Amino acid sequence: MQKRHFIDIAIKWLFFGAAATSVMVLLGIFGMLLFNGVKAFAHISLAEFFFSSNWNPSAYGKPSYGILAMLTSTFLVTLGAMLLAVPLGVGAATYLAQVATEKTRLILKPVIELLAAIPSVVVGFIGIVMVGPFIARVFGLSNGLTALNGAILLAVMSLPTIITVAEDAIRSVPNSFKEASYSLGANQWTTLIKVVLPAAYSGIIAAIILGMGRAIGETMTVLMATGNALAMPRGFFDPVRTMTATIAIELGEVPYGTTHYYSLFAVGALLFLISLVVNLLAENLAGRYRYKL
Amino acid sequence: MKPKLAVRNLHLHYGTKEVLKGIDLDVPENNIVALIGPSGCGKSTLLRAMNRMHDLNPEAKVKGKILLDDDDIYAPGKDVVAVRRKIGMVFQKPNPFPKSIFDNIAYGLKIAGENNKQKLHAIVERTLRSSYLWEEVKDDLDKSALSLSGGQQQRLCIARAVAVEPEVLLMDEPCSALDPISTARIEELMLELKKQYTIVIVTHNMQQAQRVADLTAFMYFGEVIEFAPTRQLFDAPQMELTANYLSGNFG
Amino acid sequence: MSKYTHFILISWAIFAFSCNSNHRHVENLMIKGSDTEVNLALTLAETYMATDPNISIAVTGGGSGAGIAALINGKTSIANASRPMKAEEIDLAHLQGVNPVATVLGMDAIAIVVHPQCPIQNLSLQQLGAIYRGDIQNWKDLGGADEAISLYGRQSNSGTFVYFRDSIVRAEYSTQVKQMNGTAQIVEAIKHDVQGIGYVGIGYILDKNGAQSKGVKVLAISRSAQSTAYMPTELKNIDSGLYPIVRPLFQYTNGKPTGRLQLYLKYCLSPEGQALVKQNGYFPVSEIYWQQNEQALNRKHAKATLH
Ligand SMILES: Nc1ncnc2c1ncn2[C@@H]1O[C@H](COP(=O)(O)OP(=O)(O)OP(=O)(O)O)[C@@H](O)[C@H]1O
Ligand SMILES: [Mg+2]
Repeated sequence: MQKRHFIDIAIKWLFFGAAATSVMVLLGIFGMLLFNGVKAFAHISLAEFFFSSNWNPSAYGKPSYGILAMLTSTFLVTLGAMLLAVPLGVGAATYLAQVATEKTRLILKPVIELLAAIPSVVVGFIGIVMVGPFIARVFGLSNGLTALNGAILLAVMSLPTIITVAEDAIRSVPNSFKEASYSLGANQWTTLIKVVLPAAYSGIIAAIILGMGRAIGETMTVLMATGNALAMPRGFFDPVRTMTATIAIELGEVPYGTTHYYSLFAVGALLFLISLVVNLLAENLAGRYRYKL
Repeated sequence: MKPKLAVRNLHLHYGTKEVLKGIDLDVPENNIVALIGPSGCGKSTLLRAMNRMHDLNPEAKVKGKILLDDDDIYAPGKDVVAVRRKIGMVFQKPNPFPKSIFDNIAYGLKIAGENNKQKLHAIVERTLRSSYLWEEVKDDLDKSALSLSGGQQQRLCIARAVAVEPEVLLMDEPCSALDPISTARIEELMLELKKQYTIVIVTHNMQQAQRVADLTAFMYFGEVIEFAPTRQLFDAPQMELTANYLSGNFG
Repeated sequence: MSKYTHFILISWAIFAFSCNSNHRHVENLMIKGSDTEVNLALTLAETYMATDPNISIAVTGGGSGAGIAALINGKTSIANASRPMKAEEIDLAHLQGVNPVATVLGMDAIAIVVHPQCPIQNLSLQQLGAIYRGDIQNWKDLGGADEAISLYGRQSNSGTFVYFRDSIVRAEYSTQVKQMNGTAQIVEAIKHDVQGIGYVGIGYILDKNGAQSKGVKVLAISRSAQSTAYMPTELKNIDSGLYPIVRPLFQYTNGKPTGRLQLYLKYCLSPEGQALVKQNGYFPVSEIYWQQNEQALNRKHAKATLH
């Protein structure tokens, strides 16, 4: 009895420790980003940081630290990626979970999961030599190093996440919901759209958020494939330089302790906050609509 | 009298396991037929065969005929959706959709093309009243159906099935999750519904069968052992198996 | 003092004594800095060490800035830099009592490349600067088709990015410049972009035999609109200093090098050393730097900077 009790307590603490550690690491990272990021504002005005679209810290003349252009770039690329990946991913997940035969599923699943194993450098390279030129040809541009290129590549990269998580969610919708729908005279598609997908809503949202996280945070691919021009993008056909690409490009050369160094942490902290807000928002949405649709 | 629903030499296999072994059963119109028998004898399986629920399960193979108004629902090219619209079902476990109470009931009507708000409201109220749920939920029609108690959920499922006005209603132990008061109400409801619908009910409650059923079928290992008017089956069973079962010697 | 330090001191004494007795004295040199030069420096160091067993040279990268910082802090014998030291860096060095002296190790020519279909053959430095500042935005202003110029460059962590801006653009780059992640990607992009223009190290365009490759077109560059344009693909244009976009690769030492350090630097500039420079895709030291190298290595009062 004593021993049993001891084991129970030990296991409880072990799990608590694991949970606490991950929370601490997360807080630690955010704290570190914030601590360093805040120092940037000793020399940069908040107004410049948030409302100027000029980012040029290692300038020939006076350095500038406006993030509006890269914020827009990140937004543009992520939005584009989600516009492509969500219908495709949820569609594929629905197909795999509800329509495909077991045999097809067994072939398709590993292929889709393999997509996730392609290193981002390789995806970026494909963006430069294949997707980019293709975009250029289709839309009559001189080159394809555009937000659209990044969006397409990021869509492909977030597809495995979206498909896998969404398929699980759709698959775990109890059969009894489907039976109820069929018994009321619904056909397969009505059942799918009106019952199964809404019932899997929160899981599908989670899938989209995870995919979006992948897209927002992805660095190497956008760094290679979107052209990285500093100008404010006017649309999907302009080159963009995202927040992640900026950090990756500049952190390597920046001397420690300079305004430039701290400003990159500020960008990082903002990126972290954006992901956090997106997650919270999504969780809230998922919770709110869970039983309403 | 011509039966509303007639099962003819129905065989059903789950994979290689034969679960229904040549069932014959006539369900007269505006009657309640009860299916009784020990657990695992195939009652639910038979009931589900009556509105082609087994179509969803690639393991299940059906042979034989089920005639609705002399029309085989398993005939090749038969419109399953139309069949199910005429034969509604209430399942053993309550399975409301994760939607609002209102949307649960309106669902079957909406997919059938009914979009008139007023009409929907009227039907929702009428069916909720008829399943004795109206007073409990009338102020919470927008609330999730999953927030209801098990018994309330089952009554909601009955209301949902009734709302689309099927010709035949299949009920698989509809009262197994209900308290005696709700059970009494459901039984009352069945007797009321009988005037318009034909009902097949699976039950483990012998008193319930005797209270509501006009005819009762005793099933055993995938076969209908005895099928007779309820009074007769309970008071003077013809088969020894039936007598044993009713006297509680097994099952 | 701990036992451990005693042991080290004693073994060091024995080691030093035994070396002395054989009239041998191993000197340790540290080279740190530019990533552009790091492979070249390694090759030179290894070849040199094979000829002189009394010298041991350690080479590390980290970037021009890191090398210069190490020199200022007295942590390295040679700082490799693919750009000249900045005025602040020289001031800081003097404050620390360090007197940076530069030798030029070799030349790195930067080629301007366009799509093979581009009708333009040559540009002046002014035109090039105007293009990258964003003042000239259409090929028709240069005699080409009426198409927007699509600009390609390196990312700001690249020495080439800084050199090209400070020497050719002499202002901020246009914000339209697409910052590519490495030379290979610039070339890859321009192969597909008829409207593109980019700058790349000549080593990437020429193969070992000096033949041009890679499916892009190299432009001839002139110092001014009036003067003749020269191709960077011909050695004599680099050698004679006629091709205008050539940057020296520096090796900075603290004061005029002496002893083995001097021997090593002289080796780098010897025909054998310069052959290795060429093998690594760079050009031998141009004539205009010979005198300065001479001054740094042989005269008494060397100057800190070269230009
Ligand atoms: N999906 C299925 N796959 C394989 N076998 C099944 C499946 N569903 C039911 N069976 C088997 O078929 C037989 C009949 O099951 P059924 O559910 O019809 O019994 P039942 O009479 O309704 O029992 P209960 O009174 O416990 O509900 C059982 O032996 C059961 O194990
Ligand atoms: Mg059952």
